[in-house]
Amino acid sequence: MTQPATKVVIVTEEVILKGIVKIIDQAGVHGYTVLPARGKGSHNVRSGAEPSVSTSHTNVQIEVIVADKTTAQRIADEVAEKYFDNFAAIVYLTPVEVLRGDKFLAD
Amino acid sequence: MEELAEFGTRLITQFQKPTLGFLIGGMIIAALGSRLTIAESIYKFIVFMLLMRIGLAGGMEIRDANLADMLLPAAIAVVVGIAIVLIGRYTLALLPGVRKEDGIATAGLFGAVSGSTLAAGMGILEAESVFYEGWVPALYPFMDIPALVAAIVLAKIYLNKQKGESNGKVDIWGIIKESLQGSALSALLLGLALGLLTEPGKVFDTFYDPLFKGLLSVLMLIMGMEAYARLNELRKVAHWYAVYAVVAPLTHGLIAFGLGAIAHFTVGFSPGGVILLAIMAGSSSDISGPPTLRAAIPSANPSTYVGSSTGVGTPVAIAIGIPLYLALASVVFDM
Repeated sequence: MTQPATKVVIVTEEVILKGIVKIIDQAGVHGYTVLPARGKGSHNVRSGAEPSVSTSHTNVQIEVIVADKTTAQRIADEVAEKYFDNFAAIVYLTPVEVLRGDKFLAD
Repeated sequence: MEELAEFGTRLITQFQKPTLGFLIGGMIIAALGSRLTIAESIYKFIVFMLLMRIGLAGGMEIRDANLADMLLPAAIAVVVGIAIVLIGRYTLALLPGVRKEDGIATAGLFGAVSGSTLAAGMGILEAESVFYEGWVPALYPFMDIPALVAAIVLAKIYLNKQKGESNGKVDIWGIIKESLQGSALSALLLGLALGLLTEPGKVFDTFYDPLFKGLLSVLMLIMGMEAYARLNELRKVAHWYAVYAVVAPLTHGLIAFGLGAIAHFTVGFSPGGVILLAIMAGSSSDISGPPTLRAAIPSANPSTYVGSSTGVGTPVAIAIGIPLYLALASVVFDM
């Protein structure tokens, strides 16, 4: 038995991970997944693709699943507003089907 | 004339030392497109090991040291750190094609201290049996933190003027806390505390000390490879950064050398200490400085300050600065 939900995906620099987690937390959502990422965008080539690395240049992909689409939208908008100007980031929303739907309700 | 020749020979022999060899070797193989990589976790571990060893050695010696001797050099460290940021603010940041906050951030990194450059310097001094007081490495935070704070304050002042608001106070304590929590300073301070308060002699002699030279060589290799990679980023920004990154380490080092020499002739600060002070001043932070600046001045473009510091500043500070101060010291202090 699956229920519809919305997944917010943020691919960005690791330096702002803490800030993004705070935004997610304040939206009343208490679960998320962080994956390591590397790649290229319009901003710059980020590390993982270089011979050796310095800690301030790795990427992460943060996935948050929220039952309610408005909350998902809010999280996405807040991240965009706070970080798009100065940091490399992409944010997208995608519909998903989840089991145990009550796990994804925001406060 | 004879002194000039001696200075020259001294300079040249330094280039044959393994420390510099590995640094230049790293740059060359990266330039040749080698796929040799050293995992990031190993890089972090090496930085930890080197700074822990430096801290332990320093802490153990501080026990017998006269701390009053530390006051003048510590004051000089603070002054030099802040002066470097001010110099950068009124030179680099004013050049055409250089955004003010980028220039200030870059000056901030050059005012801060590089753990790897310091380790390389200490390695070379020890190989030459040059004496320095045990507490000299502890001058690191006295230069590092004031420089970063000064850069962030200046940048905030400039940015606030831009936006037309006299917005909020700069969270100075927060910046200090974040710098102290950085990986390099944490390891150094922990080592100092352990050396001072516990009896780490055994583990120091059998583990941290013997591995120092070897790990330092690997770190130099990594810094060389990293420098080449960052050089590419530097190409995309104003050429003035490259000029600054070559001139600044030597200028800052010589200023510190001069002030340190005054300390030598007044309170008996050792020549080795003067050299290390110069090395610290000439160094530019690669590990802990950039994340602090990125968080505090997000609008500054990291390619400018990281590119300048890691791409050009650190190699120049190590390859040219260290031999320079050693040769200079042998002439000025009759070593």
